[in-house]
Amino acid sequence: MARESNRNATATTTPARPNASGSVAERSAVTSRPSIHTPSGLSASGRKPTGVPTPGPGPGPGPALTPHARAAFRTIESRRHAAVLTPHHRARQRRQSAMRGDVARDRERETPRNVLLSLGKVLARTTQVITTSSSSPEEGNSRASANQGQRGDDEAEEDDEDDVDDELPKRPRLSLPIDEEDEEDDADLQPHRSAGLEDDDTNYNDLTVRSIELPRREQPGGTSRFSLGSMGRMSDFYLNNANDLDDVGIDSGFFPPTVPLYDDGDNNTGDISAYERLDSDAALGRRDTIGGRESDFGIIEVPVMDVDEGTFVIAPQVQDSPTRPLPLEEEDDYEAPEPFFYPAGGDDNDDTDDDGNLDKSPDDPRGGVVARSTAEHGQKRKRNVKVSKHGVEYPSLPPAVVKRLAQTFAKTSGVKGKISPDALKAIMQASDWFFEQLGDDLQAYAKHAHRKTIDESDVLTLMKRQRQTGSSATPFSLAQRHLPRELLQELRMAPPPPAPSRRRRKPSSDEAEDAEEVT
Amino acid sequence: MPGQKLYPRATVKKIVKAHSNCNVSKNVDVMIFLDYVLFMQTLVKEAAIEAKQGGERGITARSVKKVTADSLAKFRG
Repeated sequence: MARESNRNATATTTPARPNASGSVAERSAVTSRPSIHTPSGLSASGRKPTGVPTPGPGPGPGPALTPHARAAFRTIESRRHAAVLTPHHRARQRRQSAMRGDVARDRERETPRNVLLSLGKVLARTTQVITTSSSSPEEGNSRASANQGQRGDDEAEEDDEDDVDDELPKRPRLSLPIDEEDEEDDADLQPHRSAGLEDDDTNYNDLTVRSIELPRREQPGGTSRFSLGSMGRMSDFYLNNANDLDDVGIDSGFFPPTVPLYDDGDNNTGDISAYERLDSDAALGRRDTIGGRESDFGIIEVPVMDVDEGTFVIAPQVQDSPTRPLPLEEEDDYEAPEPFFYPAGGDDNDDTDDDGNLDKSPDDPRGGVVARSTAEHGQKRKRNVKVSKHGVEYPSLPPAVVKRLAQTFAKTSGVKGKISPDALKAIMQASDWFFEQLGDDLQAYAKHAHRKTIDESDVLTLMKRQRQTGSSATPFSLAQRHLPRELLQELRMAPPPPAPSRRRRKPSSDEAEDAEEVT
Repeated sequence: MPGQKLYPRATVKKIVKAHSNCNVSKNVDVMIFLDYVLFMQTLVKEAAIEAKQGGERGITARSVKKVTADSLAKFRG
């Protein structure tokens, strides 16, 4: 079709050009365009209609055009715009006049399109031109041919005109160079800029989000410092449950793993992650406090894995209790089934512990400590000797004391009944961790004050930081509430040197205190 | 509580000493034990709440374990 139109254009233009013969024009039209160019360029100065085809090489008025040709092109363009903008009947009138009167004007109007078609033929493959600019150019061509062929028939004209009128508003868009530019722009820009991105976004919205977040999630796992550490810590909580006895020892050798009586439910949540964590934990060996602090961030991702998020969030706080190799060894000893009630089995535990520790890991300081501690406190009947991170053995609080405390508080909090041995064991472990944490904190405070001794001020600072003491509760009031009389006396007698107002005393007890202090 | 002593003072002292690798001055262990009592109070209270929420009667190991981390975090210095 494009070729046909081109031929038509050349054929119609040939009579206007005296210097170019028809055969040459046809040949040139099909094969090469400069042959068209030069004559049209020559004739452009003289005539408008022939000047029109010249802009062919360029989308707009080409650089080769003479000013006259440009003017002609402009006029044609304006005419076309007018045709577009004017209502239908005017376009029809003009159309009809063009049909009937002079073919030249008709040609004028159509020539840009023809030029564009030829241009498209040269620039792009013919097939593409035909396929892409499908509807309007074809119809335009058909119409052009129809105009030339069926000039006489009114009905046919009418039909054609109707068609043309219908098409008219659309036509310029497709045939004008602007449109092509747009298409080119689209072709160029879409892959480059927003279009492609938008496509990606729309299609892979989720994927992009995931691809952003996945590395985050993977990083903690990869570095295995934060979340895994904390998880490992948490795994302690969950894995103390009897179902994995092996794991208990890694972090907490405090409690001899005993008969798996309880906690089927907890393990469901903790199990899968716990295994990973423990592995990582073992790889880590020991977590430092920095890791614990940083795990605040790592934990954000944690909740994906487990249902118990609330507990996980606070995991890092617990982290401080170090994983040491020594408890592991104790653990091995502990593997032997033991009676979990301490008073009964305490002595046995001690024996096994001491033996195991001395045999497997002969730590010089520890041995010395053992000797010293045993020498000092021979009267201690139940003692589960564990080793702190500083390599110092220490006993845990007697379970009877813990149980009594727990029961009093349970009673005050409205829980009836005794505390089960399992619960007691959990409480014991918690208190062990508590002392570990407390020891760390106190050490930090003492060290900060360049002391080697933990002072009362350290404990006061600690309690203040724990928000146990504040405007509502003074340390002394707390002591009065919770400690027996003898201990209170001890407390009062303790720091006469530091200051009379070492802590805010309860005003009511001041006099008695003073009296006691004086004595 | 009345007749017996509340807690073995030397034990507390030893525990803290082992963990902190510092000496513990004379009557600090009382304060430390006071802190421990407060901790126990918190822990048991929370455990009781947790047990109630879980529909258990009495304090179970599960409830205690669940609130241990919380309580420890609360008592972080």
